[in-house]
Amino acid sequence: MHTIIQGVILGILTGGVYALMAGGQTLIFGIMKVVNLAQGAMVILSAYLSYTLFTSAGIDPFLAVLITTPAMFCLGVAVQWLFLRQLRREDAAELSILVTFAIALAVEGVLSVVYSTSYRSINASYANTSFTVGGYQVSAVRLYAFLLSVGVLGLLYLLLHRTRFGRAVRATVQNPEAARLLGVEPARIRALGFGLGTATAAAAGSVFGLIYPFNAGSHYDLISQLLSVVVLGGLGSLGGAVVAGVIIGVSSSVVAVAWSPTWSQFTFFVVLLAVLLIRPRGLFGTVLRGAL
Amino acid sequence: MKVSALACAAGLVLAGCGGSHGSAGGASKTLTIGVSLSLTGDFADPGKAAQRGYQLWADHINAAGGLLGKKVTIKVVDDLSSPTQVVTNYTNLITRDHVDLVFGPFSSLLTAPAGQIAKRFGFSFLEPAGGGPKVFAEHLNNLFFVQPAPVVASGQVFADYILSLPAAQRPKTAAYPSLDDPFSAPIADAIRARFEAAGIKTVYQGLYPAEAPDLTPVMAKAIAGNPDVIVSGSQSTDAYQQVKALIQLKYSPKFMFMSNGANSPVEFPDKVGANNTAGIFSAGDWFDGSPEPGSAQFTTEYTKKYGGTGQQIDTNSAEAYACGQLLEQVAAKTGKVDNATIISTLHSGAWPTLLGSLSWDADGSPKGTFHLVQWIDHQLLPVFPAATAKHTPLLTKPAWNG
Repeated sequence: MHTIIQGVILGILTGGVYALMAGGQTLIFGIMKVVNLAQGAMVILSAYLSYTLFTSAGIDPFLAVLITTPAMFCLGVAVQWLFLRQLRREDAAELSILVTFAIALAVEGVLSVVYSTSYRSINASYANTSFTVGGYQVSAVRLYAFLLSVGVLGLLYLLLHRTRFGRAVRATVQNPEAARLLGVEPARIRALGFGLGTATAAAAGSVFGLIYPFNAGSHYDLISQLLSVVVLGGLGSLGGAVVAGVIIGVSSSVVAVAWSPTWSQFTFFVVLLAVLLIRPRGLFGTVLRGAL
Repeated sequence: MKVSALACAAGLVLAGCGGSHGSAGGASKTLTIGVSLSLTGDFADPGKAAQRGYQLWADHINAAGGLLGKKVTIKVVDDLSSPTQVVTNYTNLITRDHVDLVFGPFSSLLTAPAGQIAKRFGFSFLEPAGGGPKVFAEHLNNLFFVQPAPVVASGQVFADYILSLPAAQRPKTAAYPSLDDPFSAPIADAIRARFEAAGIKTVYQGLYPAEAPDLTPVMAKAIAGNPDVIVSGSQSTDAYQQVKALIQLKYSPKFMFMSNGANSPVEFPDKVGANNTAGIFSAGDWFDGSPEPGSAQFTTEYTKKYGGTGQQIDTNSAEAYACGQLLEQVAAKTGKVDNATIISTLHSGAWPTLLGSLSWDADGSPKGTFHLVQWIDHQLLPVFPAATAKHTPLLTKPAWNG
């Protein structure tokens, strides 16, 4: 029982990290109906940026988020402007999969050349620290990462629901034409929205680099997990991403502890399939394009 | 159309069968050795390390007047870490570039198909990095794996050490968390078989997939039975994750052996923290300060050419260098370095290299054993067998420190 409870604690904390990584993904889908296969690569790119800031300038990975977030936001806006804005045909959503996958490959290629293929990890002084709470070990990095996830996703929620920009985003999501008639410029909102989604990769990258060793190719495994979180939570739903992240984290962890890690991924997909059979749009997906 | 196609086919066959294959340069003043290496892709880092080793040996032998008076040239082509590209590369090296000899690529994944190509054209295949069971299952008599032992036997030296201890000092219980991989889990399984036969109780044995995102739950379960020894069938990143998970779970076993990952003198301390390496065992075939033939010279020449320290040299470079040492010895013994001579000569006797004395069975599987290495005072040192040890083993692993 002790190991199972330990597994649940680990799973909840890890789930928060998944939610942070998937938050941008689901935001981008909600705003643009783009399945962004480059989000994993953006997380890895951010991890490398944090790594560089930490190893060359001694900047703590959590503080580095303040630097990497604007940088990733600008990159996201540029990517949308250069590569996705042009997709205006009916099959733009399908084409965006190819375009974003190409972007992911380009990012991977550049990172491979710049950093080589060796695995890196960010070894902050607290990287291996853990707190003992009631006989259970709570990893400091995961706890901080969980709190960062809650903070970033909370800010994102406030931005979308308590600001003029957020209202414009949600209006664009629900009815782009009506939003345009009300003075909202959908093209601008899409670019800023993509930038915002990409910017969340900055915090996710710092956290990822603190917890896992990574190299340029790490985005392949990552994107499959992010897509799973987004689909389970409901495409376009931030709250769904949080719930799905925790479900994935806890199910993977508990199955690994109670049964075998070989089955933890499989068990998750069983849960995913079961949920999709009952709710084809995921846990919190709605009929409207993007729930946010 | 058919005639021209036939003519092309005939030309290709002639190109494949003719030329100077196996002639080792003939009357030429140069001896060209073709190598396909992973200069890009997943294996780029070890591939480049092997390239440094090959080139260093070529520089070394050329400075001494060449091999049988011929200047050695290493022709390297990039295989992108692809088992398809490696086949194309060796075919081109042999049939189009007419290299005199070939050396092996990096990893078993690429060595197995590449060895087949070399076999088809009658080339010897000294290869430093393909030690998986699949390679030897091909039964290629032209292939020689230039390491002391096949990969799956690399943990035997740890079992030898533990079972050499007095009964009171041996571990009583053991856990075996392993990566589900043909180069990892079999190593732990082989150790487990010997430990169980010796009465060391297994309290955990489990596999995790390569794509397992987090090993903390695995290690939480592995330590639930308070094992005295943890034997990890690990590769690289999973090894780092195992150690980090144990630190965070605040569990330090009395003994810890990791089949791979912990034997990297640069990567391992960088990933787990230098203060957390003490006492961890692994297996290795070359180490800085090795007394084996040519090792000191290799270290000196390597650091002079590429910089860094002896401790920072990637063992893939040493293993590649050893391929060249073997050629030197064949040349010295027979006065020839053609492929047929290399194959027939290396199949008998034992051959001293900087990795130790090497010999092979008919399938190219080496018959020796690895060194047991242990992290002591931030250094990876050989500790067993005693004949080659530079330090006595730490009997109990120190606690984690950071």
